Amino acid sequence: MVTNANPERGGSNRLSPCLLAHPIRLPWLTFCAFLFLLVSFSSPAFPVSTNKDLKTLWVLKPVVRPEVPAGVTQSTNPIDAFIATQYRAKSLLPAQPADKRTLLRRVCLDLTGLPPTPAEQEAFLQDTSPDAYEKVVDRLLNSEQHAVRYARHWLDVLRYADVDDRMLAAPGIYLWRDWVIKALNEDMPYDQFVRAQLTGYRTDARTQITATGYRVPAEPRPEDLFALGFLARGGSPSNVKDDQELAISAVETVSTAFMGMTVGCAKCHDHMYDPISQRDFYAMKALFDPLVLRKVTLATAGELFAQGKAQEEADRKRAAIEGPMNELIAPYKKKLYEDRVAMLPPDVQAVIRKPEKQRTAREQKIADDYYPILRIDPEKIEEVMPEDEKKKYIEMRKQIEPKAGGRRRGGGLAAFWTVEVDHARELEKSYILTSGNPERPEKNHEVEPGWPFAPSKPDFHEGRVEAFSDWLTAPENPLFARVAVNRLWQWHFGQGLQKIPSDFGLLGGTPSNPRLLDWLAAEFASRHFSMKEMHRLMVTSDTYKLASTASSEMAAGNAKIDPDDTFLWCFRLQRLEAEPIWDSIFTAAGSLDLAVGGPSFDIRSRGEKRADKEEPDELAVDAHPSRRAAYMTRGFSSNRDAMPSFLQAFDVDDGRVPCPLRTQTVTAPQALFLMNGEEVDKASAQFAERLRKESGGDLKAAVDLAYQFAISRPPSSSEREHALAYLENDPARLKNFAWLLFNLDEFVYVR
Amino acid sequence: MGALWAEAGEIENAILGPHFPPKAKSVIFLFMCGGVSHIDTFDPKDNKWAGKIMDAVGFGDNLAEMKRPVIPCHRTFTRYGESGIPVSDWFPHVGSVIDDIAVVRSMWCNESNHFPAVIETCTGHRGRQFDHPTFGSWISYALGTANRNLPAFVNIGRPSSPVQLTGGYLGATVAATPFNAGETPIPNLLPPKGCSASERERQMQALDELNREFRDTYAINSDIAARARAYELAARMQLAAPQVVDFSDEPQHVLDLYGIGEKETDDFGRQLLLARRLAEQDVRFIQICHAGGGNGRWDAHDNIESHAPLCRATDKPIAGLIRDLKQRGMLDQTLVVWSSEFGRTPWSQNTTGRDHNPKGYTVWLAGGGVKGGTVHGATDEVGYKAIEHPHYYSDLHATILRQLGLDYNRMQIRVIGRTMRLVEDGDGPIREILS
Repeated sequence: MVTNANPERGGSNRLSPCLLAHPIRLPWLTFCAFLFLLVSFSSPAFPVSTNKDLKTLWVLKPVVRPEVPAGVTQSTNPIDAFIATQYRAKSLLPAQPADKRTLLRRVCLDLTGLPPTPAEQEAFLQDTSPDAYEKVVDRLLNSEQHAVRYARHWLDVLRYADVDDRMLAAPGIYLWRDWVIKALNEDMPYDQFVRAQLTGYRTDARTQITATGYRVPAEPRPEDLFALGFLARGGSPSNVKDDQELAISAVETVSTAFMGMTVGCAKCHDHMYDPISQRDFYAMKALFDPLVLRKVTLATAGELFAQGKAQEEADRKRAAIEGPMNELIAPYKKKLYEDRVAMLPPDVQAVIRKPEKQRTAREQKIADDYYPILRIDPEKIEEVMPEDEKKKYIEMRKQIEPKAGGRRRGGGLAAFWTVEVDHARELEKSYILTSGNPERPEKNHEVEPGWPFAPSKPDFHEGRVEAFSDWLTAPENPLFARVAVNRLWQWHFGQGLQKIPSDFGLLGGTPSNPRLLDWLAAEFASRHFSMKEMHRLMVTSDTYKLASTASSEMAAGNAKIDPDDTFLWCFRLQRLEAEPIWDSIFTAAGSLDLAVGGPSFDIRSRGEKRADKEEPDELAVDAHPSRRAAYMTRGFSSNRDAMPSFLQAFDVDDGRVPCPLRTQTVTAPQALFLMNGEEVDKASAQFAERLRKESGGDLKAAVDLAYQFAISRPPSSSEREHALAYLENDPARLKNFAWLLFNLDEFVYVR
Repeated sequence: MGALWAEAGEIENAILGPHFPPKAKSVIFLFMCGGVSHIDTFDPKDNKWAGKIMDAVGFGDNLAEMKRPVIPCHRTFTRYGESGIPVSDWFPHVGSVIDDIAVVRSMWCNESNHFPAVIETCTGHRGRQFDHPTFGSWISYALGTANRNLPAFVNIGRPSSPVQLTGGYLGATVAATPFNAGETPIPNLLPPKGCSASERERQMQALDELNREFRDTYAINSDIAARARAYELAARMQLAAPQVVDFSDEPQHVLDLYGIGEKETDDFGRQLLLARRLAEQDVRFIQICHAGGGNGRWDAHDNIESHAPLCRATDKPIAGLIRDLKQRGMLDQTLVVWSSEFGRTPWSQNTTGRDHNPKGYTVWLAGGGVKGGTVHGATDEVGYKAIEHPHYYSDLHATILRQLGLDYNRMQIRVIGRTMRLVEDGDGPIREILS
């Protein structure tokens, strides 16, 4: 009667384990003191730095494909052999396999984020063929909904956000999400997935040779433009040409997401235990320094022509009013302006009175600085106008001012922000920045582009990021595959083999099963980085299929040896994340919209936005609450709440920095949402209506069906009794009963 | 929104307070969003500089040195109480309780634009490079809740920035729980309309029964146990929170004190009465944001007269709060603080408004062991820079902490290898205003 519980970690009030992955640039969650790791660096086939401190990093040790242990298990899946070897070594007894229904719900929610329908449950139970489960897995992996689910996992790591004060690329950023979903759906190999997001090219064939012998850039696949949303996401609006944020964000995200190392903390200071120096951080930043944002208008030629015409028309109308209007206000404006100028000190007055073209740069600066003082606002002009003229003026202004709420950026055409190399910036030198402050470059600390573990002379002739990307994604790079397979493992099993998925360093600890991790990494590379094949391999293992409970005797014995279930002697009970909770509610209600792609939606049509009524929310584009929650708007804003409280309550990060591991809290606001949330109330009514229809009025059938919809199993006999007792033979009580199911512990847990 | 709240001693590594006997049990922190002009309220200057040009800096992020015209102050100041502290005609009611108030006229901070300054004043740190928690979260973290049914840190009113509510690296458990002064103080607090209490009661019983098999099976999983507790807490809140916001037991003379029922003061009056009721329930830190959202409505660039309605909306309720606390014998243990992210400049960048001024501005404190009828510190003769006893904003944090029995030096936490502090700069508590 026992589980995978970790008694230390529970409790509604604990500090989040995601503190480790939280938006702080953790100083030594980095590579610090790998020193203690015993593995020594044996002549690598892969070119890496020979920095002394780094020699002991196990993650940089080439992956040597371990022999699959023989004779330890009947399973033919090598994963089970590695796991069983550890059972044997630690004297652990594995739990029984999970029953078919439990397994089906587990794998459906895992792979697609959606529970199985009653029909799917029935079909799986009926199918007694030996590969019944494998067929289900294939069906799920081939579903577009699998891509939606796993894109959400990746986008957490890649710090996707719809809203961020500093994100110039916000309009159209969802097209990057769409690209990620498409990439996963077509099982784009992981190396291509990463390369495309770093360089816009899936492969290293970035040039081609013409018939006449000129090497020219090859055309990338058109849609891979959207992959660069990954880099554009970090760019800030301050000044596109001066932006340092893009490069800083790129280093933080790339090092975390693809290298499993949090380099970000080295931004401000050298840590005493930290072999990653400030210099390394800024060297890596220099890779991305030449990149600038570029706006791409997404329109057909016809639309562009039409837009030009429309603009011209608007300008003409405006000019027709503006001319007379300016004449009307000229005398008043001039007087006000003269009065203000007269207030200024004589030297400033002299500058202001000089025609703009005759001003020196210094004088122009003075004039610009005084602009706010000399600006004559329409309200001030109105104050001094006679009543009739004032009326006329207001009327004219109304005609030319954009309609309320019409302050759209970039005209009426859709746009996407991408990145490109600015060749002027490429020639500039890169420096260490004091405290990461772009305005404080340390001119005596110049850095050359590079990266931690880089070979001594990287070949930059095809570009800096390109050189890095080729190194990073090489099949021989031991970091690359290890970090990735560990993430996939974490998403299936709730915890990585390396527990902290973005820290392959000292504080991350050593992997619980290093040989398995290496075998998976080698397998991943040899399967050409197919993520779907790795998913299949993992979820078809016996280890994945274990029950989450064991007999009390066995559990007690195992718990003494391995209380945290590190060695996976049973499946870990997992709380569903926000998105599958939302999706499960509306799946049961029968109203989930499974459409794939498009902009995000915001559910805050009422309660929460009440406070915002003075300031209409620009991002509340689509109050369509039954889309999959992967499309629910998220992000960070310093002046308003950018995320629905539902997402916040269920631990969704705001996307400011990579979140490789979500916190899992158990809190009262979560309970309140499920108990009293408007959405839950609505879904309960829909669910009840559906039960009434599909059960043909038979309450017992309705109860059975309700359980199948909500938690993918029929009720036990005592549960059925309690349920029927609650219903009191009254179909009108079905709505309240539907509410009960949404509030069951089991509803939000995967067993 | 804020999450649940931790009870004292339930947070790992908490800086368990108090560190010494506290003077105050609760803090009511009144934050005027947008920047109140100290010159027109609590820091009178004669108008001898009016119309003159003086050295200043540009507007907002334009920090160019330039010359700007000082605008006159049209307020009249009256000396109130035994202390005779001058208060402008915009705050006559506050003037009438001035003997309970310590006015600090020499605060400063670094940031001169709204969001950066709000972030600096609420977290004690500039910028958001780290996920620093807001001040109230530190208090909630250090002291835990004293009421099992209500949070330790409550926010009322729309803030300028969500950072004013964040638990940051201290975790969501200590973040502010937003309370509204309406029927639904917390999102999702009450069952949807049409759901009867007795029916909900039956549902909760049925839920227990239907959860039983699962809970038995996973009995040692602490998260499952926590889920049961979360539902219990939610249920307790459902009972406690509506009682706090239900003013039907308040006699008319108390409602009058806060200006409830009068058009201009009704909103803020209700918020302050709610604050008092939360303080009565031992909520530790009650933050009230006035005129928040965007830059904040106290941001009077165009015309300083736009302060007038805001002063009218807040003056009577604030004085009412102090009187009410006093007549209940609560003022000694309740620290009331009034502040803004910064003050306003003596000059204007247009003709009749005032610009942002972080270099010198006023905050005031009342109750909770503060020496009433005191003026401390001063700005220069035009009201621009704090020159006498200048206090960095963190000194206000240190002062509040001290009254709560917390040593500001001990308000620190190691977050994966780096020591994060609430108070990084400044001179510590403002002892001159403490009794």
